[in-house]
Amino acid sequence: MRDEDYYKSIGFMCGLELHQRLAVAKKLFCDCPTNIIPAIKENEWSIERQQRAIAGELGTIDMSSGFEAQKGRSFVYKVAEGRSCLVEIDEEPPHSINEEALHISLSFAKALNMKIVDEIQPMRKGVVDGSDPSAFQRTFMIAFDGYTEINGKRVEIPSIFLEEESCRSDSASGRKVIYSVDMLGVPLVEIDTWPYLRSPKEAKEVAMQIGTMMRISGKVQRGIGSIRQDVNVSIKGGSRVEIKGMQELESMDLLIDNEIIRQQELLKIRDELVKRKAAVGEKAKLTQIFNGTKAKLVSNSISKGGEVYGFKLSGFNGLLGREILPNRRLGTEISEYAKSAGVGGIIHSDESLAGYGFSQSEIDKVKKGLGVDDGDSFIIIVGEKEVIGTAIEFAILRAKYAISGVPPETRGAINDGTCSTRFLRPLPGGSRMYPETDVKPIQITEKMLAYASNSAPNLANEEKSLMLMLKDKVLAKRMLLSQKLGVFKELSERSQDPEFIANILLQKFTELRRAGFEVELISTQRLSELFSAYDKGELTKQAVEEVLKKLSEKDQSVGSIITKEGLSRIKGTELKRLVEKHVSEGKSKAELIKEIMSKHRLKIDGAELNNILK
Amino acid sequence: MYSKEITKSLKEKGISIGDLVKIEYDNVSMEGELMPKTETGSPETVIIKLKSGYNIGISFDKVRLTKIADSHGPVKFPSAKLAQDKELPKITLLFTGGTIGSKVDYKTGGVHPLIKPEELFYDVPELSKIARVDVKNPFSIFSEDMSHKEWARIAEEVAKELDNGARGVVVAMGTDTMHYAAAALSFMLENLNAPVVITGAQRSSDRGSSDAFMNLICAVQIAAKSDIAEVGICMHSSSSDDSCHFLRGTKARKMHSTRRDAFRPINSIPIAKITHDGKLDYIGQYKKIGNGKVKTKNGYDSSVALIKAYPGSDPGLIDFHVSAGCKGIIIEGTGLGHAPISPSDENKSWAGHIEKAVKKGVVVGMTSQTLYGRVNPNVYSTARKIASLGVVYCEDMTPETALVKLGWLLGNYDKKTAEELLGKNIAGEISQRNELNEFLV
Repeated sequence: MRDEDYYKSIGFMCGLELHQRLAVAKKLFCDCPTNIIPAIKENEWSIERQQRAIAGELGTIDMSSGFEAQKGRSFVYKVAEGRSCLVEIDEEPPHSINEEALHISLSFAKALNMKIVDEIQPMRKGVVDGSDPSAFQRTFMIAFDGYTEINGKRVEIPSIFLEEESCRSDSASGRKVIYSVDMLGVPLVEIDTWPYLRSPKEAKEVAMQIGTMMRISGKVQRGIGSIRQDVNVSIKGGSRVEIKGMQELESMDLLIDNEIIRQQELLKIRDELVKRKAAVGEKAKLTQIFNGTKAKLVSNSISKGGEVYGFKLSGFNGLLGREILPNRRLGTEISEYAKSAGVGGIIHSDESLAGYGFSQSEIDKVKKGLGVDDGDSFIIIVGEKEVIGTAIEFAILRAKYAISGVPPETRGAINDGTCSTRFLRPLPGGSRMYPETDVKPIQITEKMLAYASNSAPNLANEEKSLMLMLKDKVLAKRMLLSQKLGVFKELSERSQDPEFIANILLQKFTELRRAGFEVELISTQRLSELFSAYDKGELTKQAVEEVLKKLSEKDQSVGSIITKEGLSRIKGTELKRLVEKHVSEGKSKAELIKEIMSKHRLKIDGAELNNILK
Repeated sequence: MYSKEITKSLKEKGISIGDLVKIEYDNVSMEGELMPKTETGSPETVIIKLKSGYNIGISFDKVRLTKIADSHGPVKFPSAKLAQDKELPKITLLFTGGTIGSKVDYKTGGVHPLIKPEELFYDVPELSKIARVDVKNPFSIFSEDMSHKEWARIAEEVAKELDNGARGVVVAMGTDTMHYAAAALSFMLENLNAPVVITGAQRSSDRGSSDAFMNLICAVQIAAKSDIAEVGICMHSSSSDDSCHFLRGTKARKMHSTRRDAFRPINSIPIAKITHDGKLDYIGQYKKIGNGKVKTKNGYDSSVALIKAYPGSDPGLIDFHVSAGCKGIIIEGTGLGHAPISPSDENKSWAGHIEKAVKKGVVVGMTSQTLYGRVNPNVYSTARKIASLGVVYCEDMTPETALVKLGWLLGNYDKKTAEELLGKNIAGEISQRNELNEFLV
């Protein structure tokens, strides 16, 4: 087990950026709705836009912006009727700010012991991936210099921001990236921690604790995508890498550990390359070599007007194929750069080239053309004329980085259980912020501060009240940290048996999910119907599970499931009459229970039956 | 602006705007740059730009500021030299202000006029592949502040550039009154024999999504390649960044306060559609480049007014303008060109007031607030009566074009000729036929 000393010894640096959507009726700067259910399709319009990199305040286009712009993509925005107005699609300036969202964010700042600014300065943060039609995100720093405590240790919270949610990525085809505009503008709070989190485990615990603090306010959205935890990681000699898109908070520590290994392995490759005096060659056009090739991938592309380019990697032999994480190689990393320009991938000489269908003479010609000797490698890329130039440049850029170490990147979590990541884009520089002059600065009043203090979520109080309700310390703590807390509070409000509800939400849900039932899709409304039926004595505990299974398969009313499946509870005089039918001489009580329950397991409460037979 | 006290205190500490300062606040110490105050914030709050790029506002009485280093000086915008390919046509780009001609200071958010052509070529390098672009900046002015004086000045500049061998001229300006300017230039540039393309932006060019880039590219394409010898407006044809329309200068109107496709043709269709990669589709009729030399006719009498007739409107407005020395009035009437002449409150009848104005020698023209369609004095008795008072019915001209035309006529011709020409087509402002596809285009 690695301890904090180990992480200290490798120069581990780690910080979090937590993004949480707020549960308010309207978007941050317009009157569009925020309760968007993407699965429901609305009448849609579609607009197409170009965006270009703009010089930042230092008068330079940072690498990240240039990278995106170079790809020459266009963006298609799907605009659903009733969900977005002209504000989101950059056809109208913002309206005034959603004050409720502002108040919620101020209450979070208070909960994190932060200093709230006296006048909020609206800012624009450049966005280059097209996820905002205006090419910037509106964002405000509302407080600074706070802290929280985790396991008795202090974790500093340097800043909290109120900002706009970005577009939902829809799909990409060729050089067109398609976004749905509906989520854009939903109020979002971003909370950053300092970069000195002491271990991956601490990172996970801090994320859970802050997530809980926001959830107990009851003012945040629930469900997939409503909270996002981005992690920044680096080690000594490595580089800062930002990991986005993590879906399971549970595996955050594993994801961070894997990033550490990836950086360590890349540094080993770097050392080897330096020792070998490795170098990356210039790009060369190789299309002619492959006229008439039997390699399908290449001949298909050439027949459609595609081109083949390649470059030499002196001294790289064997390293492109070396594994840095399970199923991830240096070749994979280079390939992802090329792919981001719109080609299918790369072919490199550590792979089986015959497997692609290349002839020996083609391979020899490529080697000759690029000047490849023993100990060298080469990469070739096949693709459309429009994108091949950029793809080869990106691949060369990444290959060169292998000799100097770990490139600073934004990476995306691969949510397939491997806890691995893939390249998304170079890490953006910090020079893309300028004032949002369409929104007036906001003065923070004494009244706002008092309101924030009074409504600040309090974890200790919440834990106490959960203890009172659930009478079980472990269950209360689990519920406190669970994403289900909000649903639980809503459901348990009118219930006589909150403990039962807690156990269903925490344990039964996990069991059923593992068994393949999509219980997360069940709406709070249906759960409320279910527990109310249970409370009224219409259902047994056992039947609750059956109803959950049915609900996870199809959304329908609980009443209709009870009728259809014959789950209506047998109780009181009805049960007595049933028992009388079964009673006959010579049967023991245990035998009777067995007999009755085997026929009516889902419909009879065991305790009640026991009572009758007393 | 910061309050007097803050300004004084900063001066005493030797701190200027833009300096790197240490901020001590309630046991916290931070570094940042002192930002100027915007007009909307509280004058008692200092604005600090933190290293993260975020600005925050802190009450001056709560902080201690100490200077660490001098300001880096004003922001330098990056620039790029334009390669002058001798094979390409030569055009002139006149920047006269507005959103398109502004750069935003990334630190302060302040707006500066774009003066250096090199900065433009850095932002829109595509221009150098289309034409040899000569950039000039005769003045910078907000659209709403523009007047006939600026229009006349632009007309002179355009004529000069064309005389000096420019194949076409692009005029970049603010959009609010662009259609007035377009109409004015259409009249002022007589015997025009080259494309004169007016363009602008609805979104400022500090954002990657600005419409300025494509508008400029398309405008330069038309100036460099088309055979159109007219003044027109070149702006987005839709909310997408796929193509621009080239609209006749006398037939265009800003029909939306914010959308990038705000400019629409009124009682006409676009002359052409152009994509940023240069695909040019001619859609409507236009005057082609032939022989001849442009001549400016710049006179303009600004003592003209545009007034709107509406239910219950006070016709005293007419008397006010007449007594103020107005020589021409365009009425934006209702429907076919009406104004109240027999309302239940007799004092609200326009008839007598119009009659008085005409008798005093004022030229009065009638247009319609429906914008689309033609005025006609023959259908209802109201219009027959108004026309009989000596009002010129302006066919299918927009009210704005009619106003500009009347000012131009009165500035270049005697009253009688002006009155005669007001209802006759000079620069495409009146179409004799209106087809089905000319509505809500």
